[in-house]
Amino acid sequence: MQVRTENKNGLVVCQVDGEIDINTAPDIKKAFDKMISKKEPKIIVNLSKVTYVDSSGLATLVEILKNMRSYGGKMKLTNLSPKVKSLFEITKLEKLFDILIDEKDAIETFV
Amino acid sequence: MLNLGRLGFLKSNDRHGKFKKVSFKVPSEIKYIKKSSSRILRDLAPFADESTLFDVRLCVEEAVRNAIVHGNHCDKSLSVKIGYWLDGPKLVIEVEDEGKGFDYKKLPDPTDNENILRNSGRGVYLIHHLMDEVEYNDTGNRVTMMRYL
Repeated sequence: MQVRTENKNGLVVCQVDGEIDINTAPDIKKAFDKMISKKEPKIIVNLSKVTYVDSSGLATLVEILKNMRSYGGKMKLTNLSPKVKSLFEITKLEKLFDILIDEKDAIETFV
Repeated sequence: MLNLGRLGFLKSNDRHGKFKKVSFKVPSEIKYIKKSSSRILRDLAPFADESTLFDVRLCVEEAVRNAIVHGNHCDKSLSVKIGYWLDGPKLVIEVEDEGKGFDYKKLPDPTDNENILRNSGRGVYLIHHLMDEVEYNDTGNRVTMMRYL
């Protein structure tokens, strides 16, 4: 699992590669904790290369979202595979997260 | 024509396939979660599509994780027993821990507004939504999950 970040148009865009599960969740949290400690106001998380998510992975994303909200930050998820998106729908997390089709959409809605 | 597979299960050339029950135990350590699912998926792969394999993997890992963490409290001296078999179109997977059991009906609904922001509680919910049938023994320390392929 890898998290790569870059700045685009004043936003932070994170590309997560691999699986978000009980084994990798701590590493993802660590990567986002750095951005949260800087109080990054707007983060886009591109999940196009995420092949698997379990309940620990969902929990970690929820925690990241809560931490961002604590300082008024906003997070958007993009490029979810149909399978990963279905997990958000089953658990009703699609109502909690801002899920967009792709980065372009997310950037536009942040403006 | 029947082939005796490497793990001692029988494969048939039937459309749905069949194999006898395979049972194994794992210690209550997190690293055995993925090892457990990998073993089952390896045997199931010839009979299921990618979507089904994803769902089965997720349910097995959630069940084994719960058994290790909540059932056996990560006590390495305690085991999680796993059994699986394919009977025509029906895949059956059993996961049993050595704990006192639990009543799944008493679990809070993770989709309720008061629980949606919680950091845990979605594993059992996902199992019930991804598997076609889910049963528990009376003690509550064994879950049987069934999926029609």
